[in-house]
Amino acid sequence: MAFAPILRGLVWGALGFLLGGGGAVLVRLLLGLPAFQPEPLITIGYFPGLLGWLLGVGAWDVWAREWFGLPVRREAVYDWRRYFRFTTDHKVIGVQYLVTFVVLFLLAGFFAMLMRIELMAPGPTIMSAGLYNHIMSMHGIIMIAVAVAAIIGGLGNFAVPLLIGAEDMAFPRINALSYWLIPPVAVLLVSTFFAGGFDSGWTAYPPLSEVNAPGQVLFNLAVITFGFSSILGALNFLATILRLRAPGMTWRRLPIFVWSIFAASFISLTATQFLAAGLLMILLDREAGMTFFNAARGGAPLLYQHIFWFYSHPAVYIMILPAFGLALEILPHFSRKPLYAYPWLVAGFFGIVFLSFIVWAHHLFTSGMPDYLHGPFMATTELISIPTGLVFLSALGTIWMGRLRLKTPMLFALGFLFNFLIGGVTGIFNADVPTDLHLQDTYFVVGHFHFTIMGGMIFALFAGIYYWFPKITGRMYNETLGKLHFWWMFLTFNTTFIPMFWLGLFGMNRRIFDYPPALGSVNRFISISAFLLGSSFVVFVSNMVLSWARGPQAAANPWQARTLEWQVPSPPPVHNFPAPPQVVGHPYDYGFTNSVHALVGVSGGSGEQGVDTDG
Amino acid sequence: MGRHYLKAAILWILLTAIGEFLALRIPLFPTAAAEEARIIDSSFILLMILGIPVFTFVLAVLIYTLSTFRSREEAPEDGPPVHGRPAVALLWITITAGLAIYVIFNPGLKGLAELRANQRADLVVRVEGSRWFWKVTYPEYGITAREIVLPVHRRVRFEVTSVDVVHSFWVPAFRVKIDAVPGIVTRVFVTPTQTGTFQEDYHFRLQCAELCGLGHSMMTAPVTVLEQGEFDAWVGKAKP
Ligand SMILES: [Cu+2]
Ligand SMILES: [Cu+2]
Repeated sequence: MAFAPILRGLVWGALGFLLGGGGAVLVRLLLGLPAFQPEPLITIGYFPGLLGWLLGVGAWDVWAREWFGLPVRREAVYDWRRYFRFTTDHKVIGVQYLVTFVVLFLLAGFFAMLMRIELMAPGPTIMSAGLYNHIMSMHGIIMIAVAVAAIIGGLGNFAVPLLIGAEDMAFPRINALSYWLIPPVAVLLVSTFFAGGFDSGWTAYPPLSEVNAPGQVLFNLAVITFGFSSILGALNFLATILRLRAPGMTWRRLPIFVWSIFAASFISLTATQFLAAGLLMILLDREAGMTFFNAARGGAPLLYQHIFWFYSHPAVYIMILPAFGLALEILPHFSRKPLYAYPWLVAGFFGIVFLSFIVWAHHLFTSGMPDYLHGPFMATTELISIPTGLVFLSALGTIWMGRLRLKTPMLFALGFLFNFLIGGVTGIFNADVPTDLHLQDTYFVVGHFHFTIMGGMIFALFAGIYYWFPKITGRMYNETLGKLHFWWMFLTFNTTFIPMFWLGLFGMNRRIFDYPPALGSVNRFISISAFLLGSSFVVFVSNMVLSWARGPQAAANPWQARTLEWQVPSPPPVHNFPAPPQVVGHPYDYGFTNSVHALVGVSGGSGEQGVDTDG
Repeated sequence: MGRHYLKAAILWILLTAIGEFLALRIPLFPTAAAEEARIIDSSFILLMILGIPVFTFVLAVLIYTLSTFRSREEAPEDGPPVHGRPAVALLWITITAGLAIYVIFNPGLKGLAELRANQRADLVVRVEGSRWFWKVTYPEYGITAREIVLPVHRRVRFEVTSVDVVHSFWVPAFRVKIDAVPGIVTRVFVTPTQTGTFQEDYHFRLQCAELCGLGHSMMTAPVTVLEQGEFDAWVGKAKP
């Protein structure tokens, strides 16, 4: 049965939960405490429950049986059912990630639509303030998860091993584990609807997050689990890129998308723990009576904000670096020109990685943190525009004098450039302390980060989805629908978010259910525009579904691109390359006569690559 | 070749001129009723003036490239094999670094220095946030109120705190914001320069700007700026 592994995961997960929760009840009874406290019960039950789920869904068969010396059962599944299993093929895992996160993106987008209905007019419209806060918080955290994992987990998993000429990721089973940690995250977040919700946004600032409904506990557990998944994923990408590059794939020949995943993974691996620690401290405050953030009992609410942003600012670059990489990966192929200033761009990526760790307190300019810290954090933040500027140098230098083919992926990559430019320029206003004193926590900030994350990262994601659609599915998407989707989304995105800058300046703060009546007409305009933006995804989804089902067969290399993934059939065979490819030149050297990136299908590697990493 | 650079440069200059013209003509700000608002608004305008040429540069290259270097063929020939000269990258880095460092000093550090130059206050007002209302006290006069009333042209120090969760003190007409954090007292200075009331202008309001739960959006208090004589009369009436 197709869903047997998932069902078994659910049953084992439920057993684990009962075991853990039951143990907690027992201990409490023995200690003479009131037995049924929902929050500690959920927290203590959750971890054995998570373990049960992972073992049940596949870790037991694929991993533990072999370790314990039990007979190993391995059935090869090559049809659609493999997408519902603990599969170790990076291409399958990439698709699992991609589809999961596109669905989550649509769900969080639906929450945004509900918010815009509520904000159509001043005063209550369709929901209560409490429900609004919950929906807003859900929109925030799900979109953050999408921004962190959709490109890296989805397109990164699918494309990185292909781009570097590897057979799979370095640790295929850990790769599967990273993916199967995601369904519990989604389940926990959706369950908050049955636990009173949570109203502290995706930032979960205490003391609010310590005095609100039990839904907060589910949120914290979800984000801790999600962080665990990102750390494992990052480890895997670093190992893969360090160790599994095909012979001749030197660092100077590495495709730029691979570089961006490498840089982003470095941040994921080293910063994510801080967020988990902060959220764990909230759980301990709530359930064990500790007082990390309780001012009345010696704690410090500001401490959390520092810990939180110590992860969450670098996280912005976990989201945007792969988007840079993806847009810059696409531009050379559709301009038929080498990627401009490639070594400078790579250096820029690492400049961003370094600086991203020392800017976090720019989120705290109005928090009451000591005044003397404002100058240094403003300075480091403004300096990030230097390495980020190299992205624009590279992009503009690549398209200038090129032979541009405005296919859908190219349109999205150019749309990314325009939107991110607005996001970047408006970021200066938030980074400069005097202007931030007014703009902090207003719709100006909402406009700014939607231009960087949605206008930037999401546009790049769609560029990548259209670009690799033929490679992933073996079929071609509909170009007319693709272009329609781009123009529809690009125009309505801009008309939705540009007016928000005005709203912020004119006194509309963020995360509010109601606003001064004078702001009604601009809000109505934004809402209508947002509904049109939301409807553009109908075009996207129908194009994807119809093309995947019955689109025309795609050629191996429909874009005549030079990189390795296009030198194998669409979709690629299970082990990617017939033999390790021999890389002999740069990936983007268009226009050079007799220049070749790699020789594929010719046996030439050392054989090191032939080791079966699947088992 | 040189012709392309010239045309794109002309487009850039044109777009910049239009952009700067619009930026200086379109009303960008609501009522500015305090000295601090003047400093913050002029910082904003300076960043606009500097940001527009950056924006239009990229825009000009995009527009020019898209209108000139298109290829309608399925499999076009390759473009010129250019990797980019180090000198161009170095020039680019120099310009972006120059701009970035300039805005750190002006308006950044300069604006901060102006906002903090004067630490002396004519009047102290304590503001305490709790879910979901503001309590305003005037220690000099022994007044407790649910609104902020200030005399014009007098420097006020707000001492802000919270009794429960984090809130944020924000008056859009003054442009300043400071969080109300339980356990600590945060300070912000305001010198009102213009009289006004919430009834006439909704920017004269104290608005909670940090998510604090159910009543967050409704956590407001009216702000009134009066002439000194009117303020004295209000104090006389409000005194217990
Ligand atoms: Cu940040
Ligand atoms: Cu509040």
